[in-house]
Amino acid sequence: MNQNGTDENPVLRDPDVRLMLRAKGGDETAFTKLVANYQDRLVGVLAHLLQNKDAAEDLAQEVFLRIYRARHGYEPTAKFSTWLFRIANNLANNQRRNTGRKKEVALNVNDSGPLGPRPGERVIAEKSGLMPNRQFDKTEMCAMVQSALATLNEKQRMAVLLHKFEGMSYVDIAAALETTPTAVKSLLSRARDNLREILEPYVKQGTLGTTETEEE
Amino acid sequence: MAKLARLSPEQRENLAAYLDGELEETAVQEIEQILAVSPVARHEVDMLSRTWDMLNSLPAHKASEEFTQKTVTTMRAGELPAPPLASRALKQNARRGAVLTLWALVLAVCGYVGFTATHQWVPNDSDQLLDDYEIISNLDKLQEVGNIEFLQVLKAKNTLAEHDEHSSK
Repeated sequence: MNQNGTDENPVLRDPDVRLMLRAKGGDETAFTKLVANYQDRLVGVLAHLLQNKDAAEDLAQEVFLRIYRARHGYEPTAKFSTWLFRIANNLANNQRRNTGRKKEVALNVNDSGPLGPRPGERVIAEKSGLMPNRQFDKTEMCAMVQSALATLNEKQRMAVLLHKFEGMSYVDIAAALETTPTAVKSLLSRARDNLREILEPYVKQGTLGTTETEEE
Repeated sequence: MAKLARLSPEQRENLAAYLDGELEETAVQEIEQILAVSPVARHEVDMLSRTWDMLNSLPAHKASEEFTQKTVTTMRAGELPAPPLASRALKQNARRGAVLTLWALVLAVCGYVGFTATHQWVPNDSDQLLDDYEIISNLDKLQEVGNIEFLQVLKAKNTLAEHDEHSSK
């Protein structure tokens, strides 16, 4: 109860929570609106998490279906986005367990195919001391960053994606990952260290991650 | 020396949280003091920040154009009409009753099998005594007999049975 003597759940201020409550009441249009609002965000995060856009769309659809099926028992206890990404994280974990897949980055440069080392492999090769001596184009840079992201474990990667692309706070990320804000702080710190370790050589050479001031 | 001192693990974690705007005020002040005097720390912050910004080069994946329609169609297809509540309750009760009856039958059969097995296969000392009753009741006489062959001769001649009849009168 607030100071005015009325019951007020702060979560109800979230417009998406209100849409979900309408969907709970049978308003299908409200749920369709939620899907439209979140589809790109959800597919975007899952695509980087799973590194496969088709799988990301399938999983995103499953997330929405789960939410739809659970609508009758929906009780707003958190922001809608936190709830949605918690379901997404759980489904992604289940899928990984079922398929038994492990994301690994090729660490041995000698594993390159006939076309030579892939950008991601060059990242690892150049850690050994060979410094880049040319500018990388956008595609190569993107591939390099994707490879660096792939070296993170699933929890670190999800925390990075939620913080970077969803702008979620440590508290919200903790709710989505079903952990504590202290654990999220540790996850993100280690993730940043890992990313820095791989990408720093390119920043130092000025070939990647150049800031606008450097480009002047 | 403080300028080149390595950051502790806690300080390194706080640097990342500082960049994320997730540090409480006292810790922010501590970090800013460290940054003011330590080029190592300043370098760390710079590198962490710039490599983090490189994530902006990742492509922005979007859902396909038909995603919403596909999802809504699947949603509707999954919604089958639920049977009326009363018949559902009746079916549930009937199923429970059937399960309980089945369990009762299984327990009864197990009980019967167990009793029969015990009765037939587990030796009972009383049964053994009943079987040997004739011998036991004439034990005092039989103990005076020398060997089994003599008994068999007596039995063949029905001598023992006649003696019993005579005794009972």
